[in-house]
Order: sequence, then structure tokens, then C-alpha cells
Amino acid sequence: MNPAAEGTTYPDVAFTVDPARVAAFRDLFGQRSGVPPTFVTAAEFAVLPAIVDDPALDLDFSRVVHGSQDYTFERPLREGETLTIRARLASIRVRGGNGFLTIEIEMLDAQGLPVCTARSRMTERAPDA
Amino acid sequence: MHGALEDDRTGAGRVTTSFDHLAPGSELPPLARVVTREDVAAYAEAGGDHNPLHRDDDVARAAGFPGIIAHGMFTMGHMAAGVVSWAGEEATIERLSAQFRAPVFMGDEIVAGGRVRSVDPATRTAVVETWVTLQRDGKTEWPIRKGEAVVRFA
Repeated sequence: MNPAAEGTTYPDVAFTVDPARVAAFRDLFGQRSGVPPTFVTAAEFAVLPAIVDDPALDLDFSRVVHGSQDYTFERPLREGETLTIRARLASIRVRGGNGFLTIEIEMLDAQGLPVCTARSRMTERAPDA
Repeated sequence: MHGALEDDRTGAGRVTTSFDHLAPGSELPPLARVVTREDVAAYAEAGGDHNPLHRDDDVARAAGFPGIIAHGMFTMGHMAAGVVSWAGEEATIERLSAQFRAPVFMGDEIVAGGRVRSVDPATRTAVVETWVTLQRDGKTEWPIRKGEAVVRFA
């Protein structure tokens, strides 16, 4: 993981809140109506390949574990809507061979209004750790 | 603790919580489910996370686990289900956070819990401390520790 990549922003990605995937989430977590709050992780995964494959960041995803996750919602997601997903490498620290990466992802609706902000903290474990 | 429509697989109960009866210290009913390979495969598909740690036992063993592990976000989804089934589906989740601390193996029973930290009658909002625990080899493990939810009641 390269600390110099801190601050990198990635091209916007469009993500549609697909009703079939939402229904699968509801079924998995026993919710009868609406969009389960953690469905937003699917939107994060729309932009994650750009980060994982970024040669400037040089992340070894096979050594990455998810440390923490934080969502702030301005409103619930709506089935069928298309969101703009915008990712930024908010913080990168390397300590004792371990890399600590905070990814901040903003989700905007068709009017450009914020819907959700996600912060994911990932740890890239040192090889042979 | 759970309503009559409790779901055998997801554990989700149908509790109607009245905001007016909440106070700091109020406990959420614990929500338990056994994690299966089928659940984790369905989660990978729905969530779009196809990391082989959650699909391929050989890869998981090479990483030092006894077999595949559940996605952290599967466990957080269960934590959220505990909050939603307690607050009611009309309530709005304004914030949700979790720190992942221990892996979840197939066959583990995970239990989501929580406790009200504060309530704000003006906004009908409650701040809830949340967690997910499991028992393994006689010890309590914490797949999620220091979770938090901010819930606005209908």
C-alpha cells in the first residue's frame, strides 16, 4: 500500500438500486419492506474495483481485512433510483508492515443531493503476519 | 421477546417499540441466527462481494481460518436487522457503524444485541450501542464490538 496515494479520487460510477437485489437483502435479513440499511454496501462494491486495481495505491486485496464500517444516511435509499458513487482515499497509514486505509464514499441522488456517506477502514496485513 | 411472526432463519422478530417508553439503558431483544454456507453464498451474490475467503475453503485455510468465514458486512447486516426489527420498519436509520473484531465461521450462532444510550424527544431519535457476539470453545467472541445506530422513530 502506497501512502502517497492518500487523497486520490476516482471517477464517478453510476449504481442503480436494483429491486431484485434489494429483495434478496430483505430475504436474507428478514425485513418485509423498504431497503435494508446495509444494502449500501452493494453501491460501495460498484467503485471498489477501481481502488483494488489502482496501480498507484498498490493494494494486495488478498491480505485485506475489513476493520470497521460507518454509514451516515441523509435518507433511506429508494428502489429503482440511480445513485452517483464517488470514492476518495481519505487516509493511508503504514505501520509495522501493516497498511491502514480509510475509503470515503459519497452517494448522490439524481438531483445531486447526498443520500449516504460511507467510511470503510481496511487493514492490509503484513505478509506472513 | 420476539413477536409472533418471528422468522426461523433470520431470527427477525416483529417487535413494536414505542419511542415514548424508551430510556437510556433500555435493551434491544437479542436476535440470534445460525450462519450457513447458503446464507454466505446468497450474501456474496446480493452484496457483490466475491472475495474467495467467503467461498473457497482452501483460500480461507491458507489465510489461517478453519474454513470460509462470513463477510463482515453479513454480520453487520444482522446487527442492522436487530435494530430494524426492534425499532420497526417505519423507523429511519440515520447512522450505522461497526468495528469488526472476530471472524464468523459456518455453523456459528451469532447474536445481535444493543442498549439505548440516549434519547432525544424533540427529534424522536435514539442513539443505540450495538454489538454481535458468539460463543466458541466456552468463550464469548465479539464479531462486532462498539457498533452504533442512530434511529429516528416514526
